Amino acid sequence: MNAIRVVGLAGAGLLAGRVATAAQPVGGGGGEGRPLLWGAQAVAVVTHAAPAVAGEALTETVLTQPALSAAVRAWGGRLLLKGMANLEGLTLEGGELSPGAWGEGFVDRRHPHTLLHEVVATVELGRGRAAASLTVGKGFAPYGTDDPMARPFVKFPVNHHLAQIPERAVVIGAVRYGPAALEAGVFNGDEPEGPHDMPALDRVGDSWAARATVWPGAGVELSASHAWLNSPEHVGGAGLDRRLWSAAARWERQAGAWLLYALAEWARADELHLSERRFGFESVLVEGSATRNGLAAALRLERTTRPEEERLADPFRTPRPHADVNILGRTRWIIATLRVQAGPGRLAGLHARPFVEAAYLRPTQAARPSLFVPGEFYGAERLWGVSAGVRLDVGSGHGRMGRYGVALPPAARAPEHAGH
Amino acid sequence: MSANRWVTAVLVPLLASGCKGEGVTEPDPGGEDPDALPVLGHGPVTERYTAEVAARDGWAYTTTWGSRGGVVGNAVKIWDVSGDAPVLVDSLIIEGATTTGDVQISDDGTLLVVATEMAPGSIVVFDRGDPARPRQLSRFQVPSTQNGVHTVKLGRVDGRLYAFLAVNPSPAQLVVVDLTEPTTPQEVLVRPMGNPFVHDVFVRDGLLFTALWHDGLTIWGIGAPYGGSPSDPLPLGNVRTVGGSVHNVWWFHDGASRRYAFVGEEKPATLGHSSAGDIHVVDLTDLTAPVEVAFFRVESAGTHNFVMDEASGVLYAAYYNAGVVALDVRGDLGSCEEAERAADGRCDLARMGRQIGRGLHDIGRPVYVWGVQLAGDDLYASDMLSGLFKLDVSALRR
Repeated sequence: MNAIRVVGLAGAGLLAGRVATAAQPVGGGGGEGRPLLWGAQAVAVVTHAAPAVAGEALTETVLTQPALSAAVRAWGGRLLLKGMANLEGLTLEGGELSPGAWGEGFVDRRHPHTLLHEVVATVELGRGRAAASLTVGKGFAPYGTDDPMARPFVKFPVNHHLAQIPERAVVIGAVRYGPAALEAGVFNGDEPEGPHDMPALDRVGDSWAARATVWPGAGVELSASHAWLNSPEHVGGAGLDRRLWSAAARWERQAGAWLLYALAEWARADELHLSERRFGFESVLVEGSATRNGLAAALRLERTTRPEEERLADPFRTPRPHADVNILGRTRWIIATLRVQAGPGRLAGLHARPFVEAAYLRPTQAARPSLFVPGEFYGAERLWGVSAGVRLDVGSGHGRMGRYGVALPPAARAPEHAGH
Repeated sequence: MSANRWVTAVLVPLLASGCKGEGVTEPDPGGEDPDALPVLGHGPVTERYTAEVAARDGWAYTTTWGSRGGVVGNAVKIWDVSGDAPVLVDSLIIEGATTTGDVQISDDGTLLVVATEMAPGSIVVFDRGDPARPRQLSRFQVPSTQNGVHTVKLGRVDGRLYAFLAVNPSPAQLVVVDLTEPTTPQEVLVRPMGNPFVHDVFVRDGLLFTALWHDGLTIWGIGAPYGGSPSDPLPLGNVRTVGGSVHNVWWFHDGASRRYAFVGEEKPATLGHSSAGDIHVVDLTDLTAPVEVAFFRVESAGTHNFVMDEASGVLYAAYYNAGVVALDVRGDLGSCEEAERAADGRCDLARMGRQIGRGLHDIGRPVYVWGVQLAGDDLYASDMLSGLFKLDVSALRR
């Protein structure tokens, strides 16, 4: 076949649906044949953390992960424009209570993502078993695993900043031949400094990432990736550099009435001063879910080390930019999280999926002695977290997040997968 | 193999895999075996982390840092150090502070000045008429200090007393305050500098040295005979020491010779646990073209603040997890044998046998020494983890 053919784009994110907790496309969404797809979602959740800090338990109710997403196909399907507005800057200005979470000036509360979470254009061409794509815009660097927002749990894992690089101005090229794909991209190294922040365009190209993926069959996806971030914590470029590695195995399978999903990942981040390694953080995470007739159960086990920074008078915040280059210690978090979800039911025209998540957390000092002692700070050696709420969505689910173009798996790209 | 065994075989190794961390080893003193500095006594502080120390006339003051078990560093501890063991007699509590990172006593002994972090930053000025009970005279807290005063140093220029404040984080800036009337401090300069920090300064005899992190060490004239003034410093020269991270500086007056400045480098550290960073020796023969000629390194530890016994030619350096190091810095530090040079040509003070004393490295428990102060034959060392030590350095007096 000599003619260039158009590779199906339906799987490029919006249509693929949520893994194991998939949002079924409803009114306004669409399948392969529709040029415009959209969706909206939010999660209303009550979280109880015991203790959250200094022996005191905290309970709060928030609207988390509110997002509007859309995708348009053009140029005979060769071009995909997709975007997501994340409204956490409006609903989570103070972050979301989430013991173990850290990054972007928050600690033990997950930071709000930026309002313009993702807007990318992908051009994709194919010939025979080969295909290539080019993606430009603001989105995910080709590194690590799917964004936690597109995975079964509401609470993000501790390793979010070790295993994903979101919200960057990216230029990504990808090639695929048969069951293997290779991506490489450049982007800006700086982390967002707030929900209204935009990437520093003068830094685009100062950081890079590459990821190799193989789909050997039977729903299995194997990937390995590496990234170099220039001064992620200091927008002026004077901070430590970060070197990242990730390896992951993902499995997804429809077995009769069962939808099964599993992920195992390892990630490592080294922080470097003038190319000399000063800090190291590591993560191992496994998670899985089983869904049948709308009832889903999921389990996540995680062991991740994180840096401890000096905190402001608000114990859930750290200074940005840093006033110093030191850390107070490293904490190893071992967390087991169990989730049960039902639905979907109908609520005011929306799909509604009630859920409960329960987490057991054990933070310990990974560097002794150091100034941050988890038992002293939290007032306990073992922590508990319980979250209950309802996930609401309409339209197309946003599908997998973190890959573009030909780096999406073949299954997600098949027409029958549209809307999942 | 059953499914359960598969799960066990995969999960257990994954979850049990260790985290390599920083790969810290025990600090190596380097050079020849130095003389141990005897510990005379210890004043414990356990409810807060200790930061800087200032000492004079039988009294010492230690500041406090960050949060320890929820207790913030809003205190300045007052110690009677007339005996061997420091005795805690009182504490000053500074409202709104979470760190009292730096403390200075004026050259005439009348004032105690404390820097506070984080926002809103300030300096607090105390009268030392009764050293056991300093009395607050004023608190200087203005928009230019809002982000936090990391360090404060006092210096007299043309008979007037000034405080030089390093304010971080962004925008990093030097703030100069006239303390001649300590009840009414007057801001005379706000100047952005540092990349990304202006961390500390040294003021003496008409020169101002600013530690500007990756921008190196800059020398300014602020009085005769160099020109400039505290309100309008005149840049004279700059040097980028090896490795950057210029943290602190001491300009050494060795009798008539004023040839060398010692620069502390602070690499990223895990506080309380590990550290790195060398002492750099800068030759100031030409103030407009200072040049690094030598260095000193302790493997697996980094230097922090300095004090000098200039009459004896001894530099004392707080060395975080390596305790305290004493260096003989008399004479020519830029000339050495080939075997005493690093690959880049700088002289290595350790190989030159310049380390002549070491303390607190072998007391049977971890230390993390922030600062050192000298008073006669006694050296005071503030340990972030445990409080204030008093060491006997009479053997190094000469």
